[in-house]
Amino acid sequence: MRFAMRLYRALARAFPHEFKMIYGADLVQLGEDIVQDIAKEHGVSGLFRLVADLAIRVPIEYLSEMRRDLIYAVRSLAKSRGFAAVGIVSLGLGMGVAAVGVSESLNLILRDTPGARDADKLVMVPSVSYPYVERYRDQHDLFAGAAAFQASVPYNVSLGDRAGTKAERVFGHLVSPEYLSVLGVTPARGRVFSPDADKPGSAPVVFISDRFWREHMNSDPFAVGRTMRVNGQTAAIVGIGPKDFLGVMPVIPADIFVPTTAPASEAPELAGDVIHQREAKSFIALLRLGPGVTLKSAEAGLDTITRHLDEETLDPARHAKGRRVMLLPGGKILPIPRALYPMMFGFMVLLNGLIIAIVCMNLANMQLARATARRREVAIRLSVGASRFRLIRQLLTESVLLAVTGGAAGIVFAFWVASAFHKMKLPFGFPVNFDLTPDWRVMVVVFAIALAAGIGFGLAPALAATKTDLASTLKEGLAGQTLGHRRFGMRNLLMVGQVAGSLALLLIAGFMVLGFQKTNQIEIAFDPSTMYLLSLDPVRDGYSAEKATSLFDHLAEQFQRAPGVRQVALGQFAPFGPQGAVFTLTAPAGGGAPDQVVSGIAKNTVGPNYFAALSAPILDGREFDIRDQRMEVSKDRVLPVVINQTAARAFFGVGEPVGRRILDAAKSYEVIGVVKDLSAPLSQTAPGQGVNAVPVVYLPLTKADFAHPPANGMVVMVRFDRGVDVMEGVRKELAAIDPNLAVFDVHTLAGQVADTLAYLHLSEYSYVGIGAFGLVLAAIGLAGVTAYSVARRRKEIGIRMALGARGGQVLRLVMRESGSLVIAGSVLGLMAAVVLSRLMAAFSSLLGPAFQAGARDPRLLIGAPLLLAALAMLACYVPARRSTQVDPLRALREE
Amino acid sequence: MPKAEDFLPLKTNWFHILLSLAAGEQHGYGIMQEVSERSGGKIRLWPATLYGSIKRLITAGLIEESDERPAPELDDARRRYYRLTRLGKRVLDAETERLEELVRIVQVKRAIESAR
Repeated sequence: MRFAMRLYRALARAFPHEFKMIYGADLVQLGEDIVQDIAKEHGVSGLFRLVADLAIRVPIEYLSEMRRDLIYAVRSLAKSRGFAAVGIVSLGLGMGVAAVGVSESLNLILRDTPGARDADKLVMVPSVSYPYVERYRDQHDLFAGAAAFQASVPYNVSLGDRAGTKAERVFGHLVSPEYLSVLGVTPARGRVFSPDADKPGSAPVVFISDRFWREHMNSDPFAVGRTMRVNGQTAAIVGIGPKDFLGVMPVIPADIFVPTTAPASEAPELAGDVIHQREAKSFIALLRLGPGVTLKSAEAGLDTITRHLDEETLDPARHAKGRRVMLLPGGKILPIPRALYPMMFGFMVLLNGLIIAIVCMNLANMQLARATARRREVAIRLSVGASRFRLIRQLLTESVLLAVTGGAAGIVFAFWVASAFHKMKLPFGFPVNFDLTPDWRVMVVVFAIALAAGIGFGLAPALAATKTDLASTLKEGLAGQTLGHRRFGMRNLLMVGQVAGSLALLLIAGFMVLGFQKTNQIEIAFDPSTMYLLSLDPVRDGYSAEKATSLFDHLAEQFQRAPGVRQVALGQFAPFGPQGAVFTLTAPAGGGAPDQVVSGIAKNTVGPNYFAALSAPILDGREFDIRDQRMEVSKDRVLPVVINQTAARAFFGVGEPVGRRILDAAKSYEVIGVVKDLSAPLSQTAPGQGVNAVPVVYLPLTKADFAHPPANGMVVMVRFDRGVDVMEGVRKELAAIDPNLAVFDVHTLAGQVADTLAYLHLSEYSYVGIGAFGLVLAAIGLAGVTAYSVARRRKEIGIRMALGARGGQVLRLVMRESGSLVIAGSVLGLMAAVVLSRLMAAFSSLLGPAFQAGARDPRLLIGAPLLLAALAMLACYVPARRSTQVDPLRALREE
Repeated sequence: MPKAEDFLPLKTNWFHILLSLAAGEQHGYGIMQEVSERSGGKIRLWPATLYGSIKRLITAGLIEESDERPAPELDDARRRYYRLTRLGKRVLDAETERLEELVRIVQVKRAIESAR
């Protein structure tokens, strides 16, 4: 019984303060009064119920207190709607932006390939030849399995069995028969490929994705066993992948899988017997590490084998020093070298950390200002007997409510951004499936940060506000108010930090935008809406190489017959696209002078009259004509090339380029012409080159190119007279040649440019958004601090005015204080922005030129701080003006 | 001013507490004893439940703390006394009426059944 009573008292003490204050004593008293009777009447079970009753009521009372706090908090926030809205929106935007940014990199790093088993065990080696992979497979001590594949391979697919059905272009992988089993794919229906069942010469088969099955076959339950036409050849469907399986790199999704045992007519990538060519490094090796094998040991082992193989094949790179093989993680949605993780992630964390820091500083500032404004309310409540704990809890509930709502808004915003991004068409020749859907881990972290910010930045002001000296606060006394203010007070530091952070954010965003604009302008000498781009891929429609060549030989003439067509030209890629500048070529100088070696060169393959169709002036020599297209190419034939201005300057300086030779490892070229630089947005340029000046070497389109079309097919450019709808005529001409030939990607050059720039515009808008967001936050923060400062110094201002200070003088006094904060913050922010942008430029080859171009722009370096300062001073001025309206009589009487 | 009907049907605990206060003001222990006696020991308001209900009844405005004290020899100065408010009285009446109505319905039904 005594024990029960001890427990009873302990539980009674555990009740919430408010409850205890009123009923605590009675509760204990009552327990003492009845415990004897209870024990007599009910025995142990009665005592148990007595205690259990308390144990149950304690949490109930707490919940009811919390409910009251919450209702009060909602009411109090609803009363100051502006404060709540700004807090929630700023927190939401900041958290949302940060969540999307971090999710993007986290998704790439963390998310396992859907459909793969033990994804951690998968590794990839890019650019290897098929025979190499076969040798890797024999290393049973290192690998449990090995497969080779080619990614982003287009297939012209028609589902009807008859040859006449129109084909659709579907992207997939060309895979060795082990691919699916190495990945560990469990088919939803049918079987996976296997080396035993799928041998060269056996009946052609395909494996399709669940997505293809749903979207193209209406989830046909009898799909397995049906046939379809792949690149004009009949193939049987043997299996359907599990849900969400889109190949090993789902960022570049694959919907159809064709085994390397297929005939070259079905997969033109296999032409020329590439699977037996040790030099044909067109495959990616997909390897599954054996049990207990680490990435490091596998890499070392693989390196040795590859070195051997290179020796055997007399690979030209065999004498190169250093690592031959770098393993990439294979089980992630995009193979990114592990060494890049810290940089990728670091950059995102840095930028988003800055955003979150600004948001938090802003929240802290707003909370401080609000807590100060509520000192009287708090003091009154304290004086009528509310406990300090209770008040702190109350204030804390408010800020947590605010933070959690903000966090939730952030998550909603993040999902919205992700879905908006999902609808964008990215400027690539093959589908890219960038998933920005926020990662749940990021969501948890965002929410945790919001909560922590709510508690942290709610607690400090709550503690400060409730620790006031009641008497003086109620009297708005002088205590500590005219004694000046600490120069390095928490609030001032926050303010400087906020201004600095906002300016840094604004500048970095500005650098990006200006840089993007400078590096990515597309200049076209004619109206881009008067050119159609369309793609043809006859080889994948079942044409032989000869038939395809003859088609392209006569295509231009044929199309010219359509009314309104002015020029027709062929190219492997659409013009004004990003240039992958990765080649190194040499111009032999002769006469004992050292050869001129130029790296970072882009190669383009174009047909006759390409430049004429684009109205690009030939500065020297000539461009390709139909004879170049029809010439016989052999190994030691010197190919004619056209180079652009930048390349001419790089190779020959001021010398005459036409007639000179250029060499790469295998071939020799003769320069026949020089063309003006064409815009090349989004291009990677080698360090030291100017913006938008990528050296380009144009090779002639020849028979070999028609036999091996690139993934986007062959691009036909049709320039026409304005005001004529030429496409109908063109289609008619094409139908006259072959009605079954698939035409795809039909759009105008204007559309092409818009698509390319849409991606850039999105980044620009988001950077402008981030910059503006920082600016607004800084303004809000400054206004809050100034308002607070004015409120705090009412008395002082009153005295000054009573002693004869004029409004302007008082205004200046207040503004000077905020102004010095703004200046300090601006200087810090400017320095931070310059340092950060240098860092980013050094780390990123794609962003580098943009940053270089943007960071020197005086508009930005002077304009941004001025803009911020102007806005900041305005933000200060509005509340500061209130200081001049202080009525000295009233201010003094308040004492 | 909330209507009495808003509180109906009344929670059992609340009804018993209001009923105990109907005769006059009373402290927590007294309420507890009265309820117990009235129900022949079948219903017991355990202390925390009792005070939890009292707190909510006060918030709802059905009872209030009384500052008048009973005769000094009966007074237990350490205890708080409670009494019904006017609203509390009306709620108690309304609830009683409701229960009477229920009982009446049951009786009528029984009468019909026995008449068959």
